[in-house]
Amino acid sequence: MLKYTIRRLLGMIPMLILISIVVFTLAKLMPGDSLSGEIDPLNTNPEYIAEMREKLGYNEPLPVQYFDWITGFLQGDFGKSTRFKVPVADVIIEKIPNTLFLGVMSLLITYILAFLMGMYSGRKPYTIGDNAIAGVNYIMLAIPSFVAAVFAIYFFSFHLNWFPFGGSVDILVEEGTLDYWFSRLHHVLLPALVLGAMSTASYTQFLRNDIIENSRKDFVRTARAKGTPLKKIYNVHILRNSIIPLVTFLGFDFAALIGGAIITETIFTYPGIGQLFLDSVTSRDYPTLMALTMLLSFLTLAGNLIADILYGIVDPRIRLD
Amino acid sequence: MKKNKSLLWLFAMILVVSAFLAACGGDDGDTGSKDSKKEDGTTEDKAADGEPQKGGTLVYGIDAPPEGLFSTAFYGIQTDFDVISLFDESLINYNENLEPEPNVASWTTEDNKVFNFKFEEGVKWHNGEELTVNDWVFAFETLADPDYDGPRYTNVQTIEGAEAYRNGEADTISGVEVINDYEVKITFDEARVNNLTNLWSYPLPESVLGDVPVAEMSASEWVRSTPIGIGPFKVDKIVPGESVEFSRFDEYWNGDVNLDKIVLRVIDNSSVVGALQNGDIDMISLQPVSGPEVEPLENVEIVTYPGLSYYYVGFKLGKFDNATQTITEELPKYQSKELRQAMMYAINRQEWVDAFFFGYANVVNKPVPTSHWNAADDAEADLNTYEYDPEKAKEMLDAAGYVDINDDGFREDPNGDEFVVKFSHYATGNPTFESRAQAITQYWEEVGIKSELEMVEVNLYYDMIEKDDPSIETFFGGWGTGTDPDPSGLWKADQLWNYPRYNNPEADQLLDDALNIDIVGTDQQKRADLYIEWQKIVNEEVPMLYIAELEEIVAMNERVGGTEFDVSGSNSPAEWFVTE
Repeated sequence: MLKYTIRRLLGMIPMLILISIVVFTLAKLMPGDSLSGEIDPLNTNPEYIAEMREKLGYNEPLPVQYFDWITGFLQGDFGKSTRFKVPVADVIIEKIPNTLFLGVMSLLITYILAFLMGMYSGRKPYTIGDNAIAGVNYIMLAIPSFVAAVFAIYFFSFHLNWFPFGGSVDILVEEGTLDYWFSRLHHVLLPALVLGAMSTASYTQFLRNDIIENSRKDFVRTARAKGTPLKKIYNVHILRNSIIPLVTFLGFDFAALIGGAIITETIFTYPGIGQLFLDSVTSRDYPTLMALTMLLSFLTLAGNLIADILYGIVDPRIRLD
Repeated sequence: MKKNKSLLWLFAMILVVSAFLAACGGDDGDTGSKDSKKEDGTTEDKAADGEPQKGGTLVYGIDAPPEGLFSTAFYGIQTDFDVISLFDESLINYNENLEPEPNVASWTTEDNKVFNFKFEEGVKWHNGEELTVNDWVFAFETLADPDYDGPRYTNVQTIEGAEAYRNGEADTISGVEVINDYEVKITFDEARVNNLTNLWSYPLPESVLGDVPVAEMSASEWVRSTPIGIGPFKVDKIVPGESVEFSRFDEYWNGDVNLDKIVLRVIDNSSVVGALQNGDIDMISLQPVSGPEVEPLENVEIVTYPGLSYYYVGFKLGKFDNATQTITEELPKYQSKELRQAMMYAINRQEWVDAFFFGYANVVNKPVPTSHWNAADDAEADLNTYEYDPEKAKEMLDAAGYVDINDDGFREDPNGDEFVVKFSHYATGNPTFESRAQAITQYWEEVGIKSELEMVEVNLYYDMIEKDDPSIETFFGGWGTGTDPDPSGLWKADQLWNYPRYNNPEADQLLDDALNIDIVGTDQQKRADLYIEWQKIVNEEVPMLYIAELEEIVAMNERVGGTEFDVSGSNSPAEWFVTE
């Protein structure tokens, strides 16, 4: 297992290098640069822009720029955000708690909903209830989350007044108090619901299929022959077996937790990684864009690795070496 | 299998990147006008009836997250400036005619070269220190420092000795002479009529920033999370990217402050209407497109005031060489003045403005926003108003030799070759841009000019225009002018931002004369006359088709009072109040 992990970790290095080259090139291929949005007779003059381009090294050939960037990156210097004018690491660290909070909440909502729906569907497959659940799930999956977000704000915030329409916390509440955490929870709930409830489909269907499959297995027949109550068979014997493969999904969710929800965060003006990523793309903030991409790529690769290792743990038949 | 997943993910990522490229070029409505700055003033009085009330909290909305550079010396985008204006104020104000007025500083000058400034005494920074001229001098030295990473060196460049200071040849700026804590003498490198309007007019608090190296200032805590100013409200707390809490500054120098608190909230455009209706926000600047939705709301009042930006359709008349700052080549295609004028007559600008700006814009006939004191009055200056007249356009085209000779329904050029007007417009996520650009080409096609539309991604767009890319022939654009009404930076032949590459020595001479103190002295009317002369020329020659000037729109809850707006922006937030 250890050998396998190390091998996989080493294998990530060329992958990350390749990703960095591709993303860097793509980023630079985008028209304009971080200064082209600043052309404005009130604030700047052409000399300033030319001078800044020179200072930021935008006039160097692309490979030189890449090399400069990667050298700094490897030494832990992610560069200075051209937009916020502070080190990229600071910008990212500032946003991570928000995004993590939203990610965990939405994942929790997904898990709970998917668990309940999957259990029901698995127990009563091919009934109206099962089909309704599948239908709703796939419709939710098909609705773009930004459309859902706008509707959710309109309905829950403006009509019912249940939730705030945006932000991550009420600024008037004193930091550190119980009210503060309550306010944060209150703010995060609606975006988390939109994100969480919309993506239950894969978990629900996975759980459902696994339960159906398990319910046809010999041990279930034996249990029934013994006269074990059906409820117990489903809730204990089958569920325990069916939940194990779900654990491996955790690995894939790993990157999604940090990656945030790009558009949803923007609509809810929830300052997190997703919003930052979007802004860094539109304002051509290369250092931030690259650092975020690398972070997300790394997390995805790491997530895959965790998923693979978890496979091995939950199912000893899968040999990793 | 796993590897495939991550590859897939990577592709998804690339797709996402390119999708944003296409989708998110900028803010909705007025991406084209690069920023129109507001500064202060009066005209429209809205206000809940009755006397100003003390106390209460006003919620102020902005529709884009600030970047967090809360210092006038360092900020980069308008949103940050909106935040700054709530807690800081300029030493010099501008009135509704955009003429400078004393605020903290008053001045005297004999010759427009040497200015004596006098500060009010007893003005306090939010940290309790008193404001002195040294804070202003400190601001000059910061802006002129070689390590300064903001864009505003140009505002101190004209002070005598600033150049030497920047090059490290001097320890102080020689043109700045501190007389005492409240008086300073500033000498410019030469006498100009607009020395004062160009001069940097915000102090920086030496007491907190004095020890910070200039290179680290923009990243310092003072700029990011604990900014101070001299305005009626001080910053209590900042939640980055979403809200700012301000509270009344009790030692404000200029009279009483009504509100207890201002809470500034960032709100996505999609939620603005609902939040206004529910009273979740009290005040916000609107995009024209939200106007029709907000108008019917009973608890919300809309106030409009003239903006300082205009939209145009430009022609590429030449090519510019930035190294020598000259127009090096003349492009023949649109040199015919009759052609350009005919294309102007062909456009029904009023109809177009009503359709795409919902009545929040006015048709213009000159490249100077009407609110400027040097704007020509259309009737008085006898400007051609180019009323929509397709018949006249057709006649003019016929006369100029643009006739359809091969019966394909479209005109050929005077040489008998195919004539196709290529029109470019920037593309962002805003779906109305394509239709409004399409509308313009349709007007041209109606008079028989074949037109082709190309939508160009917005970041690339201005770059292509600036570099005189051959694929740009006619283009849609916008400019915001500042409080200084001089159009030289956008119009003279040696300017990079003269995008049409309009080259008319006679017109340039008028602009030079209007800035030449030997010719105009300090007589504003004399200057205005020269600018009007210049506007007559560009109105006649139409190197660009002037389309419209925008209005600024503010939506306010009915409980808000004491606000006044004019072309220079809102009045001081000290006067705002809310009724319960």
